[in-house]
Amino acid sequence: MLHNIDLNKFLSLFNYIPDDPLLFSTAEFMFFFFGFLVFYTAFSKSRNFRVYLIIIFSLFFYYKAAGLYFLLLVFSSLVNFFAGKFIGTTEDSLRRKLLLISSIVVNIGVLFYFKYTNFFIDIINHFRSSAITPLDIFLPVGISFFTFKALSYVIDVYLEKLEPEKSFRDFLLYVSFFPNILAGPIDRATEFLPQVKSELKIPETYIGRGIFLIMAGLFKKAVIADYIGVNFVDRIFEMPTRYTGVENLLAVYGYALKVYCDFSGYSDIAIGIALLMGFKLMENFNSPYQASSVAEFWRRWHISLSSWLLDYLFRPLQMKFRNLRMLGNATALFITFLICGLWHGASYTFILWGAVHGLLMAIALFTKKPRQAVYEKLGISNSRLLHAFQVVITFHIIAVTWVLFGASSLSSAMDMFSQIFNYFKGGVFIQFVQAFPGVLGLIILGYILHFIPKSVEIKAAGLLTRTPLWGKALILAVMIWVVAQAKSADLQPFIYFKF
Amino acid sequence: MISDRLKKTILNVLKLDDYEIQSETRADEVPGWDSLNHINVILAVEKEYQVRFKNIEVLKLKNIGDLQKLVDSKAK
Repeated sequence: MLHNIDLNKFLSLFNYIPDDPLLFSTAEFMFFFFGFLVFYTAFSKSRNFRVYLIIIFSLFFYYKAAGLYFLLLVFSSLVNFFAGKFIGTTEDSLRRKLLLISSIVVNIGVLFYFKYTNFFIDIINHFRSSAITPLDIFLPVGISFFTFKALSYVIDVYLEKLEPEKSFRDFLLYVSFFPNILAGPIDRATEFLPQVKSELKIPETYIGRGIFLIMAGLFKKAVIADYIGVNFVDRIFEMPTRYTGVENLLAVYGYALKVYCDFSGYSDIAIGIALLMGFKLMENFNSPYQASSVAEFWRRWHISLSSWLLDYLFRPLQMKFRNLRMLGNATALFITFLICGLWHGASYTFILWGAVHGLLMAIALFTKKPRQAVYEKLGISNSRLLHAFQVVITFHIIAVTWVLFGASSLSSAMDMFSQIFNYFKGGVFIQFVQAFPGVLGLIILGYILHFIPKSVEIKAAGLLTRTPLWGKALILAVMIWVVAQAKSADLQPFIYFKF
Repeated sequence: MISDRLKKTILNVLKLDDYEIQSETRADEVPGWDSLNHINVILAVEKEYQVRFKNIEVLKLKNIGDLQKLVDSKAK
């Protein structure tokens, strides 16, 4: 009897349970991934076996997150595989263009249906005072990520940057690859597909760096982001008017750290897991708050998305508007960031967030020369002081825009600013320190770690590479223990899963 | 081979005294040729050769050798 129950319980691990995906930071995932790795390395000699194993595991992984919608991955792969194939074999430029447009329409159409239908119903209702009932649409997690991933392939084939892939199987692996399926990085086929074709090699450095990234990611996500989120930041963002300005201000600093640790932590784990399988995914974050301008921030934050937008949206728009010169650049920038905002979610706050970023970059474009002239007149154009000043200012601009990003509504975001300016109550800071020493400590620690030079990180990963296997296992075990200690009762989903 | 005329046009826009440009050189390797300045380089080349590129022709370029080939094909 008891035996039966256990078996059922074990089998139920394989079932789809709504809102219970295989999060990287859970024991359940570790269990499956370890089982996967055993087979993966044992049969590493056979490329066929390896590829099929990853595909099956990836589809299972996505099934755990979205149930039968895993078929969407197969559908997306089919559409884009054949779109690429036909574009590659068609000479006529008009027909190539039509093929590209049709595949973009299908990709964006599917994305639009799942993600934006109800938002637009809402808008229509608002403007026409109608009462169209919102549809009951399930949002397949990660759809924005794999749609963009698959689209980049078709556009690259169209732009002749890449030969069409001949094997559907290998292409399906590219689209469904489980480490980056739910929240990126949005890897390019040009870099990824050759790795599917090549012989499996997992050098020591991959293992060292992989384990380092998994640990760093777990720490960022499960210790810093979740702890400061659950215990402090989320509460303020939910009801800003119940807290003083000083608490709201601290929540703004806290949220900037939380959103970074949450998302880059996930990316780190994804990249680390892929490395353990011998795959190199693209870099996604490079200490973004060290940026000295908003433009530089976007070269360091969610790099796989910003470079996607640069290559496939900004550049075509820029060429279209090139006769307008600087104004053309500014227009292209603004449209790109507006869409960047919309990509993040179907709400006014995200669109406004994108618009603000677009506007900031456009303003920076027009004020670049006068600013440079002022710096030169003051004799500080290359000084470290100016750089430090720019980093501080940039960080604060970004932190303010994060309020739009994180707030539940526009009025809630405005409430936060109003509390900060009209109801500051600086004295409450002492009470905050006494009540939340852990939160404050982690915020400070998080920012210190963020500003540590890259060379230290490389050294740490190198050190881990040279550590014998038992040492690596021990360090990883200690980290998992630390994570378990810090873990709050409820598992926090990754913020970027919503997108 | 990159012609002197094309090289001069590019260096002029980017305000560079001299920079070694090969066929394989990519735009982002040349100092100052960033994604924003790209527009100015393309406009200057179009003006110099009195040609108009299609958007897609520019987007397809992988390196400066490709740009040279594009210019040659148009200027004929």
